[in-house]
Amino acid sequence: MSLEDNLQKLGDLNRQANAGGGDDKVRRQHEQGKLLARERLDILLDHGSFVELDRLRTHGCTDFDMEKKKIPGDAVVTGYGAIDGRLVYAYSQDFTVFGGSLSGVVAEKICKVMDMALKNGAPIIGINDSGGARIQEGVVSLAGYADIFLKNVLSSGVIPQISAIMGPCAGGAVYSPAITDFIFMLKTNSYMFITGPDVIKTVTHEEVTKEELGGAETHNAKSGVAHFSAESEKECLLMIRELMGFLPSNNQEEPPFHPTDDDPSRHDKRLKDLVPDNPNRPYDMKELIGAVVDDGYFYEVQRDFAPNIIVGFARLGGRSVGIVANQPAQMAGCLDIDASVKAARFIRFCDCFNIPLVTFVDVPGFLPGTAQEYNGIIRHGAKLLYAYAEATVPKITVITRKAYGGGYIVMSSKHLRGDINLVYPTGEIAVMGPEGATNIVFREALEKAQDPAKAREELAANYRETFANPFKIAELGYVDGVIYPEETRPVLIRSLEMLKNKRDQNPPKKHGNIPL
Amino acid sequence: MFKRLLIANRGEIAVRIIRVCRELDIESVAVYSEADRDSLHVKYADYAYPIGPPPSVESYLSIDRIIEVAKKTGADAIHPGYGFLAENSEFARSCGENGIVFIGPSPEVIEQMGDKVKARAIMKAAGISVVPGSDGILSSEEEVVRVAQTIGYPFMLKAVAGGGGKGLRLVRSEREVPSAYRAVRSEAASSFGDPRLYVEKYLDRPRHVEVQILADQYGKVVHLYDRECSIQRRHQKIIEECPAPALDYRMRRSIGRVAIQGARAVGYVGVGTLEFLLDRDKNFYFLEMNTRLQVEHAVTEGVVGIDLVKAQIEVADGANLPWRQRHISPTGHAIECRIYAEDPENDFMPCPGKIDGLRLPEGLGVRNDCGVYEGAEVPIYYDPMIAKLIIWGENRVEAILRMRRALREYQVRGIKTNIPFHQWILRHPRFMAGDFNTSFIDDEYRYMRKEEIYPHKDIALASAAIAALHREQERALRLLEKGAAEKSNWREAGRRASLRPASGFSGKSWKR
Repeated sequence: MSLEDNLQKLGDLNRQANAGGGDDKVRRQHEQGKLLARERLDILLDHGSFVELDRLRTHGCTDFDMEKKKIPGDAVVTGYGAIDGRLVYAYSQDFTVFGGSLSGVVAEKICKVMDMALKNGAPIIGINDSGGARIQEGVVSLAGYADIFLKNVLSSGVIPQISAIMGPCAGGAVYSPAITDFIFMLKTNSYMFITGPDVIKTVTHEEVTKEELGGAETHNAKSGVAHFSAESEKECLLMIRELMGFLPSNNQEEPPFHPTDDDPSRHDKRLKDLVPDNPNRPYDMKELIGAVVDDGYFYEVQRDFAPNIIVGFARLGGRSVGIVANQPAQMAGCLDIDASVKAARFIRFCDCFNIPLVTFVDVPGFLPGTAQEYNGIIRHGAKLLYAYAEATVPKITVITRKAYGGGYIVMSSKHLRGDINLVYPTGEIAVMGPEGATNIVFREALEKAQDPAKAREELAANYRETFANPFKIAELGYVDGVIYPEETRPVLIRSLEMLKNKRDQNPPKKHGNIPL
Repeated sequence: MFKRLLIANRGEIAVRIIRVCRELDIESVAVYSEADRDSLHVKYADYAYPIGPPPSVESYLSIDRIIEVAKKTGADAIHPGYGFLAENSEFARSCGENGIVFIGPSPEVIEQMGDKVKARAIMKAAGISVVPGSDGILSSEEEVVRVAQTIGYPFMLKAVAGGGGKGLRLVRSEREVPSAYRAVRSEAASSFGDPRLYVEKYLDRPRHVEVQILADQYGKVVHLYDRECSIQRRHQKIIEECPAPALDYRMRRSIGRVAIQGARAVGYVGVGTLEFLLDRDKNFYFLEMNTRLQVEHAVTEGVVGIDLVKAQIEVADGANLPWRQRHISPTGHAIECRIYAEDPENDFMPCPGKIDGLRLPEGLGVRNDCGVYEGAEVPIYYDPMIAKLIIWGENRVEAILRMRRALREYQVRGIKTNIPFHQWILRHPRFMAGDFNTSFIDDEYRYMRKEEIYPHKDIALASAAIAALHREQERALRLLEKGAAEKSNWREAGRRASLRPASGFSGKSWKR
């Protein structure tokens, strides 16, 4: 073959690869409101930065006449590119090619970029749109899945791993996204489940639609499997770009610095009376976060799951921080199973990737009830405690109002290696609330009292004055200072600046044994 | 003389007035809307005060706010420039009531001349011929039709308070009366707050000629010769000349005399302009009187050598006019091109935006009255005129050739301007021959080919492409350079780890 012929052939193969599964399949994909694999990468990555790898690879299957059906690149597009000029690796499954099914070659292509990502210390972003295993290839396909899962596990905590579910993702396939750090789903055309509605009907006789079973709403609000849900593919891809701006490329680097015009010494008047005096009055913790962080910009994670705790990213003085906060506007900010697990996972992510933690505390304690106890609140609450205690990134805590009992301890208290712990003048820190405490401490006095109601009130007031205030704990040194709410931002920024070179470590071990 | 003068305007005219203030040792006070914080007039004035949000009704048209600033700063006079409040009698009156000198005629004169119907009546009474039309206000379609029967079609339906190319429609037949009536009436109501209408005979392809008047408070009136402003698009002048090519020596003398007569009839004080339409038989008819400084005053200044803004301020201060009519003689020829931020290829759509680059023409006989600078933002809220280029030549031909040369030097980057369009007009044989009228652009524009307004478009596109390529290459190289210099903790940690001896391979066993 002459050079001329080879050039001709290269052109043909490239065209075939770009054509994917052919015009009909492409049209069907577009008709469903879905973009093609390469179109998705074009939106995700900086303009013109994508470099494709393995564009000409084809599957090696010879059973079921498969050798006659070969498309260059097979059912996935892999490569690398940039987001805001920073290197990322990405793969995007192509539903137009064999329904996006995972062949051995597809798995090898994905593993290749995952290896590169791990070697070069850059995030990996996977766009999932696949019917499942390539049945024609049998166990080779299963081995492919396993290879990917293993690499996901080995990369975990070394480089950020992001998954976007832009089509079906069923059966074993779900475990790759599940291991990654963040899962993005779409309001439509996006499903994750271990067994589909048909199987469920046969086995348990439950009738359920695909949306109800594994749609974005289910996994964002009910199961807590997904972290974000987007209206459209474009929105989803832009959200991923946004998220990457908060994250370092790997566990050795710092998150990128984002210059801001927001004054680091800005005192926010809104904060002065945002936290109500009355401990039973709710307020919106997100307002407080918005008033403190750069440009009021808070990138919330798992907004719809366990809303009684808030987690997400923001910046303070241009630096990325992870924010964890009780939400008094939901269930009074109580900690329950979902809230504990949600926050614990987020804290561990931040700790993996050198993102300082800022915690706002207003917690009356753990949620009581049989449902919680039977489902293992002890085990799950312990995760939150474990995560905070284990974390070695800078940890700053601001108690805005209530911090009672176990809630006080687990919410990044001084005793769990909190670096800077602060409290507002509205703070109340004690073993339990004044009413409960009065009943126990003054049981005898109350029994003897002529007017028990009045006596209880007086005694509770007495208790509140003695214990439920920010000054007792300040005397003991369990907080580093009592601050005016309006100066929260400058104080936090100064603390972060002070802690930027913090070194701390855990004893050498294979890994801890977090109560799972 | 005044101590401190407030300029109730923006853009090039504000700068023009501030320059005179500086020459007269008067302190200047600029006012600006939020959109104009970084405008040239704000930078150039001695003092500058914000007067409100970008829309002009809330800023440059807000009488209360401007008077408030004048009082606060102790300004003893206000110059309104042109446009905005320049012909607003209420503003002039308000100045007087607050003890501030309004640089312009009395509120009564502004009112009389602002009311086009009244102005026609006064001029008619003074023996000046006016365009045939209705003698009074028309308040129904039927009345319009009745007047039309006496003067004949086509005619112009105009708003009494109209001006600046707004509030007028050409009516060709009785059929068009109802729609034109409604359109003008609503436009008049919304733009001028005065829905009254009148009718004027439509002169087919007239020329627009005007006479500059200057009068002191003691009854002395001189004219500063004529200008021609027939090159208009959508009733907006874009090129003006002094003296008017349309007039010969005798007509020039007679139109000057008539203008003085008209100014006397209203007891005019300050600078003003009487506009006339010239029909094909060289009869001229009074059209309207502008009781303010005109945009195109600079061409007159070029030819008669008198600073009109300075004269205006001095007259307002009570000075006697130092000249008699015979002292004033025109020398040479001046042409002005108004530079607009607009797209001549796209129906003259305004093109606001940031001026990335600006190079003004220079040399003998070139005057730039420019209201912007390199890096300035042209706001969307106001008239898109950003500058005026005024050229003087010994005669009309020299002025045209010099204007073409100057327009070639003129470079505005970042926004589109009508500079190429001016080039096209300046090269047009009819313009060069002086054979044009107010329909010139309407008649000729559609024959204009795009190649004509951008004669070197191919070269320009090719150089832009080459420049873009160079920029792209530079960017890529810079990125690589940055990447090479970047410190990576990942790489460092990896190197450190790889330098450690493997376990079980201690120094001792090495030595054996």
